[in-house]
Amino acid sequence: MSTNKKINVLACSGMGKVYGLMAREAVLHTVKHLCPEQAKTLCLAYIVTGEEEALAGFDHQPCITVDGCPAMCSAKSVAAMGGDIQEELKVLDIMKLHKGAKPGTATELTPEGWAITEEIAAKIADRVEEIQKEGK
Amino acid sequence: MSDKYAVLPCNGLDKCAGQMTKEIALLLCEGTQNEIICPVFYRVADARYDKIAKENPLLVLDGCGTRCASKLAGEKGLKIFRKMTVTEEAQKRGVTLPTDTLRLGDEEIALCTALEDELSKEEIAAPVQVVQKVEFPAPAEYLIHKKDKFIFRVPAAGFYFSENDCWLQVIGNRARIGITDFMQQSLSDIMFFTPPPIGAELEQFDEAGNVESGKAVFELVCPVSGKVVAVNTELLTAPERINENPYEQGWVAELELTNFDEEKDFLLNTEEYMKILKKKVDEFHVNKQKN
Amino acid sequence: MAEELKIGVVSCSGEDCSGGTISRLATRKMMDSIRPDNTVTICLPLFLAGGQEERAFAKEYPTIAVDGCKRACAKQATEKYSGKVNSVVFVSDLIGDEVAEGPALSTRDLTAEHQAMVDKVVVEITKKFDAIMNGKGKEATAPKGSSCGCGCNC
Repeated sequence: MSTNKKINVLACSGMGKVYGLMAREAVLHTVKHLCPEQAKTLCLAYIVTGEEEALAGFDHQPCITVDGCPAMCSAKSVAAMGGDIQEELKVLDIMKLHKGAKPGTATELTPEGWAITEEIAAKIADRVEEIQKEGK
Repeated sequence: MSDKYAVLPCNGLDKCAGQMTKEIALLLCEGTQNEIICPVFYRVADARYDKIAKENPLLVLDGCGTRCASKLAGEKGLKIFRKMTVTEEAQKRGVTLPTDTLRLGDEEIALCTALEDELSKEEIAAPVQVVQKVEFPAPAEYLIHKKDKFIFRVPAAGFYFSENDCWLQVIGNRARIGITDFMQQSLSDIMFFTPPPIGAELEQFDEAGNVESGKAVFELVCPVSGKVVAVNTELLTAPERINENPYEQGWVAELELTNFDEEKDFLLNTEEYMKILKKKVDEFHVNKQKN
Repeated sequence: MAEELKIGVVSCSGEDCSGGTISRLATRKMMDSIRPDNTVTICLPLFLAGGQEERAFAKEYPTIAVDGCKRACAKQATEKYSGKVNSVVFVSDLIGDEVAEGPALSTRDLTAEHQAMVDKVVVEITKKFDAIMNGKGKEATAPKGSSCGCGCNC
């Protein structure tokens, strides 16, 4: 497994639930701010529609999937397209540590929602670092 | 008959109630053959405690509503014989647990002794209360109501329902209860489950535990009177089972019925519940738009 | 009593470009406030991962695909699993390719300019939406029925 290239981090971006937005924003925060040199994101739908250009550099590269709910759309789709999934993160697992939290809606997050999103992003970043180290 | 129990305290270090579970466990084990399971060690090493936990009736002691010990038992696939949550017991007895110290004072020690006494008496009265296993068959067929892209399922036969969106499946004198597909969809992803206590004697329309999602807390309104003889411990660690399969793997509790013949007049059959379901679905849709 | 018409709006999720975020927000606005009684959003990731309810709805009801860029993932996915879409809105046509294909945009970084782009896309979606509602859109208001002949149930 090569880790000279960036780790692919793919969010489900689910439209219907706030957890889909949290997954999306957590991944953006990770690849833009926390570890921009080590991780990148890709359009999940673009990979699934199967264009050669989309799959180049994705196939068999280490991936982390981040899913908003138990439907696990990112994990399922990435696995189906041959991604080498190193970690399947679930927003709900983090939400279970924040009983009573009101993170917002699928359109907009509350400050509480952003705080939890940053927690998820930190977890992703930690995992990116671990995978990079494992590959060396 | 077993005269030995496995005792699993949560041993939570950051709350008085957690500290009390350790004290209760020590009291239960002193001078007896009962054995304490260390929750921290059990998490990292199955081998040490698996045999003890699986071969002896398991007493689970949780400090608070986070129920770490119950969750651990669920993760390890253990059948819980009896469980107790210290904060709930304290509340029942009107005892206020301190929040400014983790040390146990006289009042807390007295409560620990009382709770240990209660548990020990139950052991003497019924040392091995093996709950007779009853098979609850899966619904052979579901009726469907569609609204937009949403599909709501209701078992075609063999189930009763309440207007509070709970279901009941009766086999002999035993019944399982749960929440309906409509309600689990309304709640969306369920993240927390608080079961009714085993042994609780519930009247019809009493609260029988609750589930919590990001949207709401839903209290199950018990559709019938009965004694709680089992709860679905899998839901403690995987409450999403209710979303995945509300009428089968997502069952909440089993009751020994006490007055079903009279109470079933207050329940709905499939046809009656479907009418209510359709109305609720339409109202939900209208309210969603208004909000 | 005739059931009121529903139209499915499928947005691309575009995680790595601004057009994706604009698409998503415009689609949410259709559901939240512009046409709340008649809009059903179809979650593209769920659709792709095998969501039967999403696919069944898109087979039976008119759909509008809202794509962030010319890759047209939402349109392609809908056509692959549920049949032809009634209309497509390309966000890149409305806000320019350079902006649409620009770096990924977080909802935390939205500016007034971005909001204006969302509104521009909403106007376009609404036009197509209303055309379908009024029977002027392609394949009009009649439910589509399955156009997938391979019997796939994936």
